Amino acid sequence: MPHLSLPYITVALACLLGGVLVSVKAARPRRSAALAAALAFLCFLAAAHESGSAGQGSLHDPLLPFFLADGLNAVPMAFYAALTLAVMVLAPRRDAAGQAPAGMLLISLSVQTAYAAASWIPMVAGWWLSCLPFALGMFGSQRETRLTIGIRLASCVALTAAVIFLSAPSTTGIAKYGTLWSLFFVIAVVCRKGLFPLHAGVVHAFEHGPLLPKALLFNGHLGVVLVARAMAVSQPAAAHHAFEFLSMAAVATVGIASLRAFAESKPRRLLAFLCISQASFMLAGITSTNIEGITGALTHWLVVSAASTGLICIVRALEVRVSSTEDPLMHLGLAAKAPRLATFFLLCGLALVGLPGTLGYCAEELIFHGMLQNHLSAGIVLLVATVFNAINLLRLYNTLFLGVLPKHVINIPDALPRERWPLTVCILFLVLGGLMPRVVIGWRSDAANSLEKSLPAAGGSGHH
Amino acid sequence: MPLKTLIPLLIATPGALFLGLSLVWLLGAGVSERAMARITKAVYSLLTLLAVIIGWRMSAEGAHSVRVLIGDWFTVGHYGYPLTLLVDGLSLPLVGMTVVLVSIVGFFSVRYLHRDPGFLRFFLLLHLFTFGSLLVFTADSLDLLIVGWETVAITSVLLVGFFQYRPEPVRNALWVFTSYRVADLFMLLAIFLAHHWLGTTSWDGLLGAEEGRGIHGTVVAVLLVIAAGGKSSQGPFWGWLPRAMEGPTPSSAVFYGAISIHTGAYLLLRIEPLIRHSWIATGLIIITGLATAFLGTLVHRTCADAKTSLAYASQTQIGLIFVEIGLGWSTFALIHLISHAMLRTLQFLRTPSMLRDYHRVHAAAGGRISPTGSHYESLLPQSVQVWLYRLALGRGFYDAIVDRWIIAPIQALARWLAIFEPRAPVKKAADR
Repeated sequence: MPHLSLPYITVALACLLGGVLVSVKAARPRRSAALAAALAFLCFLAAAHESGSAGQGSLHDPLLPFFLADGLNAVPMAFYAALTLAVMVLAPRRDAAGQAPAGMLLISLSVQTAYAAASWIPMVAGWWLSCLPFALGMFGSQRETRLTIGIRLASCVALTAAVIFLSAPSTTGIAKYGTLWSLFFVIAVVCRKGLFPLHAGVVHAFEHGPLLPKALLFNGHLGVVLVARAMAVSQPAAAHHAFEFLSMAAVATVGIASLRAFAESKPRRLLAFLCISQASFMLAGITSTNIEGITGALTHWLVVSAASTGLICIVRALEVRVSSTEDPLMHLGLAAKAPRLATFFLLCGLALVGLPGTLGYCAEELIFHGMLQNHLSAGIVLLVATVFNAINLLRLYNTLFLGVLPKHVINIPDALPRERWPLTVCILFLVLGGLMPRVVIGWRSDAANSLEKSLPAAGGSGHH
Repeated sequence: MPLKTLIPLLIATPGALFLGLSLVWLLGAGVSERAMARITKAVYSLLTLLAVIIGWRMSAEGAHSVRVLIGDWFTVGHYGYPLTLLVDGLSLPLVGMTVVLVSIVGFFSVRYLHRDPGFLRFFLLLHLFTFGSLLVFTADSLDLLIVGWETVAITSVLLVGFFQYRPEPVRNALWVFTSYRVADLFMLLAIFLAHHWLGTTSWDGLLGAEEGRGIHGTVVAVLLVIAAGGKSSQGPFWGWLPRAMEGPTPSSAVFYGAISIHTGAYLLLRIEPLIRHSWIATGLIIITGLATAFLGTLVHRTCADAKTSLAYASQTQIGLIFVEIGLGWSTFALIHLISHAMLRTLQFLRTPSMLRDYHRVHAAAGGRISPTGSHYESLLPQSVQVWLYRLALGRGFYDAIVDRWIIAPIQALARWLAIFEPRAPVKKAADR
């Protein structure tokens, strides 16, 4: 069993855990949490570098061998650590006070645990752990709705049940119901990803409660991780139906969320529909079962994470600047006072919906090709949804940034230096990645090839 | 310097300028008006020089076309995204026209937008637009063309909403963007179906493929005709051009008088062999062009403001260019396109002083200038005249039709979808 040269994953997770423990009581929690996130980022970066140099295959952590780095998780781990750091830095002062930074680090720890899992047990642990910060009320007075909590818990219960059925020895009575695992597996993914008809959970989560922790939780994309991991180990017959169902659910979610957004005017809800629709492209791409679709999906994973985190952070930054962006009766016209935030928002949004010249375009192009090869009608739904999403993005931009500035908004600051730098890095990633997509696609090609090879075993068509 | 270096340099320069200046500004530094003006003048002088050198070198070498293979943008499995540029007898005049007209408009705008709060934004978008349009005219495949095509669209929309503190430009920018995106959907479909059926989107592959002469070629051609109609505000996309007049006059000149509005016609000229094989596509172009030209000239006569009047006049002329392309008069259509772009740019740039010009001419003529076309109108029966007048005054009732038959049903469906969201309060969207 090949190993990493140093226990990077253990150290990174330890940094995150240490950060949680320190920042929960610290006088300046943002500082200690950001430091922990930065250290974790460096460790995950080193692990990703080693994994990339090693090529296909996985490298286990020498200290805790139930964690590994491979083509699928190495880059997302480093990327997610960078996102955590960015959110820590970008968080407005009121969102980076008290136990909130510790809570966000705990979400990061849970997601990274699930990413790095070499077996089902740490993955299940990661899923359950991600519920903890919300259950402990680490984000102050900002409470979640019952719907959100229920759907999240349902996903954890379903995953636990799926794992129990999947790993039951054939001699036990439970093995008779082995095919049931795919049912629970589908429930877990649908709940976690907020696929149709449970997309309302994500919309509620965005609308009520703390926004930045939701950005971290949403951009973990643990549903996609689960699908990708399950592809390699699942039972052929059951897996085929599960992937077929998930593919249909993903395409339906893309279409319905993009259409539903036309009836929305609240910025948070509009943003939620936009993110759900675009994030569901990933699952559609992975379940397209060909190399173009899978590579596109794995690249889109990074695009959605970077772009939607940028958008969410900007919306939150605006919310704390003006008294409320809730249900504006007219346009807020904030571009007059915050032109840089407006530009960051527009660029992140256009990358999210796949404007040519950004990385989002390359990723979506590959997903479309993948889908059109196997399911022509589904591919057309995705195309129509991108058009709808682009229109909704501009509606959201218009609502927040254009129009007459309300009288109560006298003077608000434009992007502060601590906001400017992370957002610029985010934009550079999306734009330079779009100009030179070979680099980013190269990061994901090993994982895409491995997944595609494992598809015939998992019941996919493996169609070229 | 060889042509294969000069051509990418010509296209990349405005794009690099946009990226560099945007990054500087985003990081907090300011770019003064004077610096921006000097950079713009220097860069567009260089671009004009480059375009002249390219034309001269091609003429001297007797090269009818130059193809620059840069490689694949990215490759996955069997699918590669080709980066190939083509300069030939069709694209070279349009590249030259773009560089010259954008230079003129850039020089004009330095004074026109002096001390405007959006000075920097305007020039950044102008550079991005130049990059996009040069890419459209030199792309050797549909795959690459759409990159420039959508870049032109987004810059166009952002300039329609340039005066962002007024509600009307904001609303109209959204309308224009929606029209563009719907038209782009047909372009994207055409691209993916071309890949699916014909295995390529390069001009050579697309126009020379055997399969391109059958039903598959017809479908791709019809989709591209609709996309071109969207870009040139023809047929069902007739309504966005007058709304786009909310932008500053120089951008109206370069986008809707000169370049952006003609990219649809350019696409049709480029895919002409594909169109020739399909009577459906040919008929669609002619009918679309004729209908738009008729409506455009009708509405143009009832417009009260100069820019809107010019917008409808542009639509009329582009409708005629479409008809010429449909009839196979390609060279005539190209000459018409370039001369129309030149004339219309001049007219748009003169609109701020049009009234003063008119008064001067009116006085010089001794107050005897009669409106054109009144003779032909008087030949029609009175009832038809009234009916046409109502139609023209209501601008073909386009907005009402779109509102009632497209926007309202979509919004109703969107509201109905809320049944999957427990206790989700849904309000009617404040804007479209």
